[in-house]
Amino acid sequence: MYGNAQIDSKDKAKSLTDGEDPIKLAEFEARITRGEKIEPKDWMPAAYRKQLIRMIEQHAHSEIIGALPEGTWITRAPGFRRKLALMAKVQDEVGHAQLLYSAAETLGKTREDMINDLINGKSKYSNVFNYPAMTWADTAIIAWLIDAGAIINQVTNSKGSYGPYCRALERICSEESFHLKYGHDNVVFLATGTAQQREMVQDALNRWWIPIMHFHGPPDKVSQHTEVLMKWKVKMATNDDMRYRFLDEYVPKIWDLGLTIPDPNLKKNETTGVWEYTEPDWEEFKRVINGDGPCNKERLQVRRWAEEKGAWVRRALLKAESKYTIPLA
Amino acid sequence: MNYNETQIKAVKEFLYKIADDQLIIGHRNSEWTGLGPLVEEDIAFSSIAQDKIGQAQHIYEILHSLGEADADTIAFTRNAAAFKSCHLVELPIGEYDFSLMRNFLFNHAEQIRFDMLANSGLEPLAKLAKKYRGEVKYHTMHANTWVRQLGKANEESHARMQTALNDTFNLALGIFEESEFADILKDLNIFPGEKVLQYKWIEAITPLLEQSMLVLPESSAWQPVYGGRKGFHTEYLEPMLEEMGEVFRLDPKAEW
Amino acid sequence: MSSIDPRINRLDLPTNEDGKNVLDELEQWETYEVFHQKKRGDQHVHVGIVHSANPELALIMAKETFGRRRQTANLWVVKSSAVTASDYEDQDIFETTPEKTYREASDYYCMDRIRKYQQEHGIKDRKEDRRKKKDLDNKEPVKKETAE
Ligand SMILES: [Fe+2]
Ligand SMILES: [Fe+2]
Ligand SMILES: [Fe+2]
Repeated sequence: MYGNAQIDSKDKAKSLTDGEDPIKLAEFEARITRGEKIEPKDWMPAAYRKQLIRMIEQHAHSEIIGALPEGTWITRAPGFRRKLALMAKVQDEVGHAQLLYSAAETLGKTREDMINDLINGKSKYSNVFNYPAMTWADTAIIAWLIDAGAIINQVTNSKGSYGPYCRALERICSEESFHLKYGHDNVVFLATGTAQQREMVQDALNRWWIPIMHFHGPPDKVSQHTEVLMKWKVKMATNDDMRYRFLDEYVPKIWDLGLTIPDPNLKKNETTGVWEYTEPDWEEFKRVINGDGPCNKERLQVRRWAEEKGAWVRRALLKAESKYTIPLA
Repeated sequence: MNYNETQIKAVKEFLYKIADDQLIIGHRNSEWTGLGPLVEEDIAFSSIAQDKIGQAQHIYEILHSLGEADADTIAFTRNAAAFKSCHLVELPIGEYDFSLMRNFLFNHAEQIRFDMLANSGLEPLAKLAKKYRGEVKYHTMHANTWVRQLGKANEESHARMQTALNDTFNLALGIFEESEFADILKDLNIFPGEKVLQYKWIEAITPLLEQSMLVLPESSAWQPVYGGRKGFHTEYLEPMLEEMGEVFRLDPKAEW
Repeated sequence: MSSIDPRINRLDLPTNEDGKNVLDELEQWETYEVFHQKKRGDQHVHVGIVHSANPELALIMAKETFGRRRQTANLWVVKSSAVTASDYEDQDIFETTPEKTYREASDYYCMDRIRKYQQEHGIKDRKEDRRKKKDLDNKEPVKKETAE
């Protein structure tokens, strides 16, 4: 759900390739099979374009909204090293939004439309950012584990078929490695610190575990649509696949620090090699994503504040003769 | 350095005031992160904030080498009365016009100060001034571009920028509050004095404001807001410092 | 409303319920393509775009958007609308380009011919001694290894 393809229930009736020119479609699919990238002005099926716009746009929104929970502690980071690193980290997230909005724009949706849709609730962003960062330790958990989840998603998607999205993700991933290291370092300091620090980080982990389990989205329903999106390299892995990869890599690292994950059923099945866990409450996930989370309202209000307060700056410099062109790449 | 006690005191006070200004304005600017008028500008403004805080940290480290506490303790545990920052940097971020104009006025003073310090007799300071020359230059370029463009873009932006200038100018004059140790610093060839700096600053900003169609207040109306260098601050500084040190002060023995 | 973020508590937040669009068309301005040169002597390479009202501001923005994390000597910004690009549909016009080996240095090797002629006509190979020595040098370490 962090910029992963999902099926719109309204699309269900028709096939994703209905009405497409079969010759062009075959060429398009052959190109993807050969491992070549699709570039902005190439012919592409309408469903490919639509799905990618939705996915990249949501990813961009997740970055700009994601700057808010971590920004919560930007004025309170303890010590120069953390203060500067958190500023740089949140700045990078804003930068990721910049890169992703730009990639989505090449598909024909303007940044204005995307931001309007975000603020008016027509377009979603990652569910996790609707939860509050209650203490400094929450920012540490976010920077480590939410970014870890994001990296799994982003590395996977960077092998997709759409050129501009892959290019943006490559740069993003190189910055994410700093986020991950910073986050881990931060958690390690808390977990190996004073009793109070340890308690802070354990509490934060308890608060964030469900959002983390929600991060990659509910298990995908197997459908023809999913198959097509995978063939088109829009969807590069199932939500569960990415969740398993996350658990595989990070649960042991969490346990290394002697922290407790608040799920008694969490374990790797020795014989099957599959992670077993308590299925998180997907009803809560749906509720939160549809607007009823602890911070949805504030997040969008803040975004609206930023856009409204910046309006005079943008309008002052807007020249009457300017004309919109879709960026090249 | 073979400075006597008073001389060392003079040097420390001088360093504190530069670093405190940078820390506070950098902290204030960081509040814009994620809230800027355009994502690209958000990124640029955050970099400027980071630069300022990084420079402050470096100066605190020089102070540490002169026997003061370490940089984190200096920045995150002192109370307002111990700060030597001017009032200009302490005020809340306001709207973007205010924050831009504050930066414009501050950055020019800082750039000229650093230029002067590049030849300072205090070697670590001279080195520092040279090292950050490029950072500071970008900060003034950024401010000049915005002020020049918004000053003359349309009626609203012009009015906003003029109001911001009127609101910040006397505060900015507070940057140049003279120290009781000015003569010592001059004799030691460390810094020629705030008067010289202010003179050069007016020289630098006057043509830029003219190009921006903004009017500098008449010199007869100048009323510098002093006090910051002596530890008297606006009502905003203490809560800001409490906020900044909130986590750090949770447990003074903890490592974060 | 009270936020956990003290910054947010200092803002006067809007109600957010009118559902109106906040942004007008083109309010985020036009786009500029950004070209980045790592160091003097290098080519400028396209790295992305920035939104800007004019080229001067575009450079100010590009500096941090694309230059904050990498070594940079120089940046160009070009309005996206000013770039004329070839069409991917016409990518086939480049198809035979790599086949035209007659333009490649690697396609020209006539030493065999020279040597054959030298042997037939008793002309001494200028580089023969050097070549023999090189062969020996290459063999020696192998010998040592087998001796051990
Ligand atoms: Fe992220
Ligand atoms: Fe990110
Ligand atoms: Fe990140």
